[in-house]
Amino acid sequence: MRLKEVNINFTLNKENYSLSVPSNMTLLQIIRDVLHLTGTKCGCEKGECGACTVIMNGVSVNACLVIAAQVDGSSITTIEGIGNALNLHPIQKAFVEEGAVQCGFCTPGMIVSAYYLLNKNPSASDDEIREGLSGNLCRCTGYLKIIEAVKKAEKELNEIKR
Amino acid sequence: MKEINYLSASNTEDALSLLSGFGENAKIIAGGTDILVRLKDNVIKEDTLIDISGVRELKGIYEDKDIIHILPLTTHTDIIESPVICKHLPILRDAVKSIGSPQIRNRGTIGGNIANASPAGDSIPALYVLSAYVRVKSREKERMVSINEFYKGPGQTVLDSNEMIVDIVIPHMKEQEIGFFRKVGQRNAISIAIANVAVKLEVSGENRFSNASVAFGALAPTVLRAKLIENALLNEVCDSPEKLLYISKLSEREVSPITDIRGSASYRIEMSTNILYEGLLLMFLKGWKR
Repeated sequence: MRLKEVNINFTLNKENYSLSVPSNMTLLQIIRDVLHLTGTKCGCEKGECGACTVIMNGVSVNACLVIAAQVDGSSITTIEGIGNALNLHPIQKAFVEEGAVQCGFCTPGMIVSAYYLLNKNPSASDDEIREGLSGNLCRCTGYLKIIEAVKKAEKELNEIKR
Repeated sequence: MKEINYLSASNTEDALSLLSGFGENAKIIAGGTDILVRLKDNVIKEDTLIDISGVRELKGIYEDKDIIHILPLTTHTDIIESPVICKHLPILRDAVKSIGSPQIRNRGTIGGNIANASPAGDSIPALYVLSAYVRVKSREKERMVSINEFYKGPGQTVLDSNEMIVDIVIPHMKEQEIGFFRKVGQRNAISIAIANVAVKLEVSGENRFSNASVAFGALAPTVLRAKLIENALLNEVCDSPEKLLYISKLSEREVSPITDIRGSASYRIEMSTNILYEGLLLMFLKGWKR
């Protein structure tokens, strides 16, 4: 069977979706244009800037490089699933407090990358934080405030666990 | 992105029969990190994608005596985090760590990096010096191809349109073997190599080697073995930085890079010497130990 439309079932931020979408759509387009969740940003569309970073099946990915059919059967978490204005995640809180947000365009991707990193490695060193965020570009902050924010969030998260 | 026909394979046999049916009109997609960019750039002529990402039997790393098998759908992250690779193939681990970004490495696969056949593919020089073999399969036959004979040119491999990679076979590095991978790009992450190099040396005595393998990437139409340098490493007593620099400068006679958006040919030639020299010097300072 040759298909130019694909049927996909997946979970996004703990809700189930069943969609039929063009086979040349990306996960990023599904998130932004179909589901209208605009926290995930569309930057370079070639995996260089990290603005579209989401968690897919437990790992961070560039949503712009995931083709629709590969979303079938997967579980996705976007920035909206990590926290919201009324209930900020400790990483988001730390970004605000440390001044790690300037124009804000890279922020959702940065936070998703930091979230993935700190889940995987709750005692990440400075170098490991830099490496963990190396797939995300920021053109405002110079990165230092972002790294400070992730360190602060790391400390906070470890205290919550105790 | 252009319209595509999307077909998904559930096992190897399925993938091979789809391949033999669609042949030259189809391209395999695994992690998609390269092909999506190329589809968006409109440089893919095929209009059908055969998705093998769900073929579980093609993912994983296992050991069989002194041989390591890396199945093609193994992601770069899986390779970096594998204790077996860390212990027995550190050169490959270092090479794979330099690929893309965490996000890219979480999706991109070793089979994809090999089949994509970029002259700058970072895993490839490491696979050259580690004497890797690629097992390729079609519905009719199966064959083993040395990675050294796998490439015909940029983006071109010996794979027939009905064949795909089903295994990557690499012998353990021996106890007395050491090596490194180095790369120069425009930034640390997400950069396509301007030049890269992998080196494996078998230490046989003080500052002497009984085997030397050196492979450069992004410096010729395909990854290349640097035979002059290998011979020099075998014949010289490598007991001083000056000698290592002299040997490293032989790279000028081995490489034939192009000028492109990432760097000029003359810059690439200088970088080929520098990354080789840096790597050799670091090993020398460590007393040629791992």
